[in-house]
Amino acid sequence: MLLRKSVVPLNSDATGRFLPWLVAVMVYLAALALVSAMAMSKIVTRWDHGLSGQITVQLPVSESDLTEAEITNRREEVLTLLQQSPGVLSANHIGREETAALLEPWLGQTSGLSELPLPDLIAVEIDQLDPPSTASLTARLIEIVPGATIDDHQRWLGNLLNLARSIEIVAALVVLLVGLSAVIMVVFVTRMGLAVHYQIVELLHLIGAQDGYIAREFQTHSLKLGFFGGLVGVALAALTIFGITRLLGQADTALLPALSLRPLEWVILGALPFASALVAMVTARLTVLRTLSRIP
Amino acid sequence: MVRFQDVSLRYGAGPEILDRVSLDLAPGSFHFVIGASGAGKSSLLKMMYLANRPTSGRISLFGRDVSSLSRHDAALLRRRIGVVFQDFRLLDHLSTLDNVALPLKVSGQRSDEIRKDVVELLTWVGLADHLDAKPATLSGGQQQRVAIARAVVSRPSLLLADEPTGNVDNRIAERLLYLFEELNKRGTTIVVATHNEALISRFNYPVIRLVRGEVRLEHAETLIRTSDMPARAPVDHGTRDTSLPVEGNPESAG
Ligand SMILES: Nc1ncnc2c1ncn2[C@@H]1O[C@H](COP(=O)(O)OP(=O)(O)OP(=O)(O)O)[C@@H](O)[C@H]1O
Ligand SMILES: [Mg+2]
Repeated sequence: MLLRKSVVPLNSDATGRFLPWLVAVMVYLAALALVSAMAMSKIVTRWDHGLSGQITVQLPVSESDLTEAEITNRREEVLTLLQQSPGVLSANHIGREETAALLEPWLGQTSGLSELPLPDLIAVEIDQLDPPSTASLTARLIEIVPGATIDDHQRWLGNLLNLARSIEIVAALVVLLVGLSAVIMVVFVTRMGLAVHYQIVELLHLIGAQDGYIAREFQTHSLKLGFFGGLVGVALAALTIFGITRLLGQADTALLPALSLRPLEWVILGALPFASALVAMVTARLTVLRTLSRIP
Repeated sequence: MVRFQDVSLRYGAGPEILDRVSLDLAPGSFHFVIGASGAGKSSLLKMMYLANRPTSGRISLFGRDVSSLSRHDAALLRRRIGVVFQDFRLLDHLSTLDNVALPLKVSGQRSDEIRKDVVELLTWVGLADHLDAKPATLSGGQQQRVAIARAVVSRPSLLLADEPTGNVDNRIAERLLYLFEELNKRGTTIVVATHNEALISRFNYPVIRLVRGEVRLEHAETLIRTSDMPARAPVDHGTRDTSLPVEGNPESAG
């Protein structure tokens, strides 16, 4: 019984009581921001992998009055050229029906689809380690088919990458702001505790307690509050993610795999309570040391 | 032990509370500090226990200039000074035992080692039956004994008592001073601030009188002991070298 309990009765006053709940909200926000950023980066990686190994060659048909045979001839020529180009693994014509099928989700199953002047499409698989130069390939294609274009999906991918990066920056900002607010709150709560228990702090000082001894009373308390708040916050975030996954699971969308966390990502989430505990502890310690330095 | 050289003190832009005070208290000495209320007795003691810094002048304790002490060393030095505060400053949420053990805990001693010493000391000051009592449930005189026990538990070389007899009647006050006397005989340097001049006159110790910010060193009148205040022989407790004289409960004894 002797002096096991803390000398400064921080547990029994109201100054720190709301802190864990605020920390919980903040850790919750940080966790969701982190998960969004991680999910977005996974989506980008997946699409990047799926798309960067492919380019699509478009041969226009609308402005020319070519016969079916001429179109086929022209296409064969292009296919041969492509297949002989270094860095090209394969080149395959996408048939009219296939092209129409690709458009169907956007245009619906309209009967007029067959009358649309769809371009002739060639799917080209390229060697990702040694990709051909799109510009020189285009130049050579134009000699055969004026108006031929190559879509290497870079613009689409670039936009996606920008979006992902923006989300990452926003997530980092959220985490930073949340951390900053947490620090400010802990400083505030610690100062309040110091004011409420000033008599005790001063007595400890006068009977020869080192500053670190007094700081320890506060930092241990703060560490507990920060850890507890962090645990609650992460638990709520995990529940939220689980809920979203369930909802998406029923809708069977492409987002699902992005939201199922990899081990490392679970570790990052699991580390949040420790991070909030550490931030709370260090902040409380520095606050107390700073205040004590004003007592002679 | 305690050395003041031209020490002046003022609070903020206020008047000079102490004006170029010089003192030299030898190790093992016993001094009273007297003066009217507001004369600066507490202020003088506060500088001795490093709670206040002088506005000017030099203070040295245990042969060390206190202005050059690091915070760490100042804390170590404070542990060699026991203080009985004018208002006791007991911690309300801690038991008698925990209050008295506090200086030992602060200096890093282990709880199980502390316990025996503290219980022994509290028995000597007649509080064995109140080990777990909170200060609020103790009488003024009992609280005072807790405060004194806390001041001496770490066997300080310098004991500063600020108005330790303020809350008790003369009889108990006198007993208290015998207790300090006993500690003094065992080598503790003692400074007692009080405005009770009648009490002082019963002891033959030098007096530091504070008048308008200046000090005068006087000698008290020859010790007069009243018949109902027999001098008690110190009792040896074997394990402690700075033990308090056993006199049971000072309140019930009178
Ligand atoms: N922290 C402070 N700030 C400003 N003035 C103070 C402070 N402490 C004491 N004083 C002033 O210094 C003067 C001396 O005060 P001090 O407490 O040392 O007197 P004292 O001799 O101990 O009086 P008492 O016998 O009533 O305890 C008083 O005028 C008091 O108002
Ligand atoms: Mg005073």
